[in-house]
Amino acid sequence: MRKLAGIVVSLLLAVGASAQNLSDLIISEACPVNSTGIVDANGQRRSWMEITNVSTGTVNYAGCFISDDKSDLQKFMVPKGVIANRLGARQVTVIWPSFEILPGKTLYLVSTDGKTVIDTIEIPEDIPADMSVRKVARDARRIDFKTDPSPAVPTPGLINTDGSEESGSNRMGRIDPHGWTLTVTSVSVVFGALLILLIIFTISGNTISGKYKRRLKKEFSHSKASPDAEIAAIAMALELYLNDEVHDKESYRITITSVTPRWSDKTRNFRKPIVK
Amino acid sequence: MPHIVESLQQFWQFTGFANCTWQNLVMILIGIFFITMGIVKEWEPLLLVPIGFGMIIGNIPMFPGLNIGIYEDGSVLNVLYQGVKQGWYPPLIFLGIGAMTDFSALISQPRLILIGAAAQMGIFGAYLLALACGFAPNEAGAIGIIGGADGPTAIFLSSKLAPDLMGAIAVSAYSYMALVPVIQRPIMLALTTKKERLIEMPKPREVSRREKIIFPIVGFLTTAFIVPSGLPLLGMLFFGNLLKESGVTRRLANTASSSLIDIVTTLIGLTVGASTQADKFLSGKSLLIFGLGLLSFIIATASGVLFVKLLNLFIKNPAKKINPLIGNAGVSAVPDSARVSEVVGRESNPSNHLLMNAMAPNVAGVIGSAVAAGILLGFLG
Repeated sequence: MRKLAGIVVSLLLAVGASAQNLSDLIISEACPVNSTGIVDANGQRRSWMEITNVSTGTVNYAGCFISDDKSDLQKFMVPKGVIANRLGARQVTVIWPSFEILPGKTLYLVSTDGKTVIDTIEIPEDIPADMSVRKVARDARRIDFKTDPSPAVPTPGLINTDGSEESGSNRMGRIDPHGWTLTVTSVSVVFGALLILLIIFTISGNTISGKYKRRLKKEFSHSKASPDAEIAAIAMALELYLNDEVHDKESYRITITSVTPRWSDKTRNFRKPIVK
Repeated sequence: MPHIVESLQQFWQFTGFANCTWQNLVMILIGIFFITMGIVKEWEPLLLVPIGFGMIIGNIPMFPGLNIGIYEDGSVLNVLYQGVKQGWYPPLIFLGIGAMTDFSALISQPRLILIGAAAQMGIFGAYLLALACGFAPNEAGAIGIIGGADGPTAIFLSSKLAPDLMGAIAVSAYSYMALVPVIQRPIMLALTTKKERLIEMPKPREVSRREKIIFPIVGFLTTAFIVPSGLPLLGMLFFGNLLKESGVTRRLANTASSSLIDIVTTLIGLTVGASTQADKFLSGKSLLIFGLGLLSFIIATASGVLFVKLLNLFIKNPAKKINPLIGNAGVSAVPDSARVSEVVGRESNPSNHLLMNAMAPNVAGVIGSAVAAGILLGFLG
């Protein structure tokens, strides 16, 4: 049982750890010259960038850094303690860095340690005003993104697509034309899933069935019913059935319950009931 | 008088005789064949009779534009067909299956679970073959699921991956499920020796109520966390089983396992049958799907039997050896394939009852095919 608890705790920890994986964040869009587009909380128009969480879990990006200078990766820190910094699965958020995003620069998204670069995006030198550089979804499930080389009309807060997302089937047709990768992976997963069930039910079965057997044994040892009495009851029932003396239809199941008659048992009282 | 003749001529244009093609007649004959097999041979009558009659309904030649055909938006048949097309019916059937299935055999002998995984090789074998035949990966995945021997799962997956092939896939899956005794027996006999067929297995132990209640919850959590894309099928299967085993929701379990599943089975059979309109169904692709479906059943059966033989190599204790005749039951045709194990086992040794042992891989096969469907949907959807 302890082993089982250990496995469950490990699984939960693993799930928790994956939910906080900053490497699932990408810089999905950046608009360096914003003269007619969206405004920030102060009502001002300035350059903005967009972060997308491509995972299926929530990621808290508070404390991450944004920079356009490789020698100073901690140029702007995303404030901590803001609930909105928790980015749900496949969600997008717009960030307003404290510095101006300039054409020709590279934007860095840096982890909370201030050193590890999570993702980058290059801003073309010739990007027109009010246009953005972006990464578009490569697949229909929006997990895999590619940089779109041509400037596009900004779509802040929305997952970027260009209508050419590759379906799962096309993707598998491209990377696994003969199907062996999918086959081996799928067979492993099916076996893995059922193997986990096997382990769980072997462990729990041993534990629970052991207790169950002990309980049955205990109940049987406490039972005052004599096996001879049961045999006699069954024999009598069979006798009635075979000699066609059964007066009414019985259900399939016969339940024999041992009852110890008490002195006040009505079944043993031969007196007629008093009729008022 | 001329008006009467003109009206009659116009009426003639609306009749089935005027619009009939030989393809319609072929499909109607197939429908009658299905009904005959269901009634005379009693092969899966609950499925073959509705499908067969649905085939006849779907292939009555008619003048298009009357808004009565299954593919015409808003028609009665079209509304009922949405349950198939959108994948509503299969999870409801799984709810009923869960409420009917006793997982005791599986809980008491967990080692037999893996046979249910091995038999899913039929799905992936057919997937590889379908790819080799030139089908697109999504179509190959939908065809492959026929090997799971699970009609609702085949409909569910094909409705998501390859709706155009759903009619052929569903009819193929249900046809071969009806033919389980015919297909599996020779493979089982060919792959086993007389000595192996005589192996007697111990009676499964008694399972406590607590274990039966824990099973659907743990089983669901485990499988759904691994393959969330199988959620509609796995969720309903285990939910139905919890209704049954909890002991406090008998009314719900009774409804799910009787009225509800009967209604949905009627509708799914009829509409799947009706969807096989000749112009959409009679094609080289459909014939190929039937061929691949048969191969997938053969691979699934052989994989299950051979996997048991492999397991036996590692089991030293003769009393714990597994009879390879329960290997075929790894496909999820419940309880038909387990019944085949019992029948073939008794042919070799009349006192050898394998039914309860075979039920373990059989119900594991239901879980395995739902998991496999989830994986295929995840990769190819």
